[in-house]
Amino acid sequence: MNVAKLSTSIGLSARVAASASGEFDYDLFTLGAGSGGVRGSRFASSYGAKVAVAELPFDYVSSDTKGGVGGTCVLRGCVPKKLMVYASEYADDFKAAAGFGWAVPHEHVTHSWTAFIEAKRKELQRLNGAYKNTLKNAKVELIEGRGRVVDGHTVEVDGKRFTARNILIAVGGRPTKLPIPGAELCITSDEALELPDCPKKVAVLGGGYIAVEFSGIFSRMGSEVHTVFRQPLPLRGFDEEVRKFAAEQYAAAGLHLHPGVTPQSVARQPDGKLSLTVAHADGSTETLTGLDQVMMATGRVPNTANLGLAEAGVTLGKRGQVLVDEYCRTSVPSIWAVGDVIDRIQLTPVALMEGMAVAKSVVLGQLTSPDYWAVPSAVFSNPEIATVVRPSCGGWGVVVDAASQKVVGMHMVGAEAGEIMQGFAVAVKVGVTKAQLDSVVGIHPSAAEEFVTMRTVTRKVRKDA
Amino acid sequence: MAEEHFDLVTIGAGSGGVRASRFAATLYGAKVACVELPFGFVASEEIGGAGGTCVIRGCVPKKLLVYGAAFAEEFADARGFGWDLAAGQAGPAHDWASLVQLKDKEIRRLNTTYGNILKNAGVTSIEGRGKLLDANTVEVTALDGSKRILKAKHILIATGGVATKIPIEGAEHAIISDEALALERLPEGPIAVLGAGYIATEFAGIFRGTHRHPVHLMFRGDKVLRGFDEECRDQVQENLVRRGVTVHPGCRPTKIVKQGDGSLVLHYVDGSGAEQQLGCALVMMATGRKPRVEGLGLEAVGIKMDSAGAISVDEFSRTSVPGVWAVGDVTNRINLTPVALMEGMAFAKHVLRFDVVPVSGQDVGTCSSQFKDGFSVGLGYTEEQATKEFSGNIDVYVSRFRPMKYTISGREEKTLMKLIVHAESDKVLGCHMVGPDAPEIMQGLAVALKCEATKAQFDSTVGIHPTAAEEFVTMRSRTRRVPGTGSRAP
Repeated sequence: MNVAKLSTSIGLSARVAASASGEFDYDLFTLGAGSGGVRGSRFASSYGAKVAVAELPFDYVSSDTKGGVGGTCVLRGCVPKKLMVYASEYADDFKAAAGFGWAVPHEHVTHSWTAFIEAKRKELQRLNGAYKNTLKNAKVELIEGRGRVVDGHTVEVDGKRFTARNILIAVGGRPTKLPIPGAELCITSDEALELPDCPKKVAVLGGGYIAVEFSGIFSRMGSEVHTVFRQPLPLRGFDEEVRKFAAEQYAAAGLHLHPGVTPQSVARQPDGKLSLTVAHADGSTETLTGLDQVMMATGRVPNTANLGLAEAGVTLGKRGQVLVDEYCRTSVPSIWAVGDVIDRIQLTPVALMEGMAVAKSVVLGQLTSPDYWAVPSAVFSNPEIATVVRPSCGGWGVVVDAASQKVVGMHMVGAEAGEIMQGFAVAVKVGVTKAQLDSVVGIHPSAAEEFVTMRTVTRKVRKDA
Repeated sequence: MAEEHFDLVTIGAGSGGVRASRFAATLYGAKVACVELPFGFVASEEIGGAGGTCVIRGCVPKKLLVYGAAFAEEFADARGFGWDLAAGQAGPAHDWASLVQLKDKEIRRLNTTYGNILKNAGVTSIEGRGKLLDANTVEVTALDGSKRILKAKHILIATGGVATKIPIEGAEHAIISDEALALERLPEGPIAVLGAGYIATEFAGIFRGTHRHPVHLMFRGDKVLRGFDEECRDQVQENLVRRGVTVHPGCRPTKIVKQGDGSLVLHYVDGSGAEQQLGCALVMMATGRKPRVEGLGLEAVGIKMDSAGAISVDEFSRTSVPGVWAVGDVTNRINLTPVALMEGMAFAKHVLRFDVVPVSGQDVGTCSSQFKDGFSVGLGYTEEQATKEFSGNIDVYVSRFRPMKYTISGREEKTLMKLIVHAESDKVLGCHMVGPDAPEIMQGLAVALKCEATKAQFDSTVGIHPTAAEEFVTMRSRTRRVPGTGSRAP
């Protein structure tokens, strides 16, 4: 069905007038009060639209009926993850302190996981409240409940219907488990952030950023960690040299890496602990026993089940993601989607950018497409990794386009990589050349100054003509 | 006496001297000799060492001590994250001697490394005291009194600087930074640091982290860190006080008296003009540094000095005497290692290849760290400088927030970030930050500033989350607009 695209040249006053005259209950109705949903909603409201957002009741672990304002990032992703990384880093600090003259009684140092979880929960509650205030101050109406789409201009929240000129889908994603026997005995990241205590021996299934981050956390806290993945190296999609270097560093930091294996099953042992059986490429199997936890960090999928999307005419992709054009508009002209649910780049700042763009498109009539060039990101594993743009062919440190001499990519593995890379991301966005990079005076002493003192070309990479 | 001939003779094997010497030799094939005093931790007319101030008694040992002292904060913050160190309320005890031993080991290693750098570059290292006899002749006097004559096409003076004391009665009872870095142990009792610059504030932080007794910071002005953005100065001072340093602004030391038991009494005049006394175990003067120009034969050769006592140079690091050049702290331009490196490199290119490379101090970041987490870094113009320099309007963006790490550790400290933007052109004129990891965060932004980034470009850059740095690319609301009173357009 080829629906004529909604004209975006209608002025703002006409939109507001339409709502005021009762044509629609709202100018914009958002499903999901996470990063993308809150950003889109509050900016739409600030531009003059009448906005409502539906969100599930708050809980730390998500489900079909539980979520919370703030979304994955605030409640079960970026924020608690980073707090947990901080907590685990102290373990390294205590070890290093002796060399600097401190008498740390290592045998007596203890960590209370429950004390940490309590502190984490308190902070999450504070942020949940802060996000609610943000919506309130932006005059966005928050409706608690499970929202679904009825048609291009109608949503339903726990049975109650509302009409809207535009609908924004920002329901995010959720962790998935491998469909193997014993999957129900395994935890995902949601539960890993809510454990009663730190597992002494743990298997983390997966090779992506979530898997390596949690591996690092548990390992620093003193666990014996086995990271199990199918690829020969972790972090598929990253630069090859970065993957190799990271794997070496992870192993040096104490992780037991099990590359090239496929998990087969998980079982409960008589003593209550778990065992994990994996298959090697040659068909042989191996079983890891005595595990306190098996964590599956094997993927996340968009939360598009039971939202009424297909029925409303919204086209979904193979992974269940909402398909959108460059303006984040779905196949239904009045329905838009941003964030993890569209499965482009699953990062909070990208969802924020997408939400902002939709607010402009929908309310101001300025069709705005998010700009995915030079998106930086960081993996808070041990050590950290940060990148700006991931070029397809190899490069280490700084990747320079030979013709223009512009810096097209940067990578770093090491402490504070995330903090270091942000400023360089601005420079790459601006179009910095290698000569300009070299001409900048270093801030000394720092790790970052290395980037402005890289004089020797390691190797040149030339694209085939 | 036999004369030895070189293309270049460098006096001083510190940051600027080594950089210039090694690149003159390796990149341009020059025959180079580098003269340096024998190695020791506390500098004097007879003691120096390859690596110079930065490596032996500046940046490097300072940073090691800052790291060492920072653990005190980590121990305190760790509690909020569920850790129990079984070390009581005061936390684990610290042994200063162990820290200094670690530092000494690292400094010796680096001193050897610097010697090797010169050797591998084919530079002739000559130990002794160098002195100019004329514009092409350096006389080197060794420890045993023997002399060598070096003839040079070019001479580079890179002798650096030395710490100075304020000339009050009893100044001999105070120590300078060299000695502070070489203290075998911290004495029992309060420590007073005199000064308001980065050296004073950094040592106040170091002592506060490692010392069980009160730490005082005393200075004549109203705020620390003159030259930094005003709001940043306030934030740093607030942080120092919050961390337990007793700050005495507006106070003028008058004398130091040593007691029979070895303790000291610091006499000073406070802000209201009243005479006061402070009993201390140790007084450190971090009240200034001056170029090391004595005994080099400079006057006899006719090398002009400026009013501050530094060697006067043009933008190519040339002195008033043809064939004689100077880089680094001895020229008192911007006394930072990376600047000395830059000056040394530019000199090497120019003197031997005539590539004209003027040195610009425009985008140099000034960095000061009071604690591992209490860094302050300024890039480009401060709010005050921008307002004075440019026409049009200056838009100031300020963000003050508690970094994530402190939310559950319970530390009340805030991070401060500022962007100074020229409204009409949207050019970012300055970036400033007080908070953890500031030097790491600001390096990339220094590059962005060098590329003349606009606020719009900052804003269009996607953030890295969760970090503190992303705050710099998400400052949406202008805090204030200040009309420029200058005449420049950026």
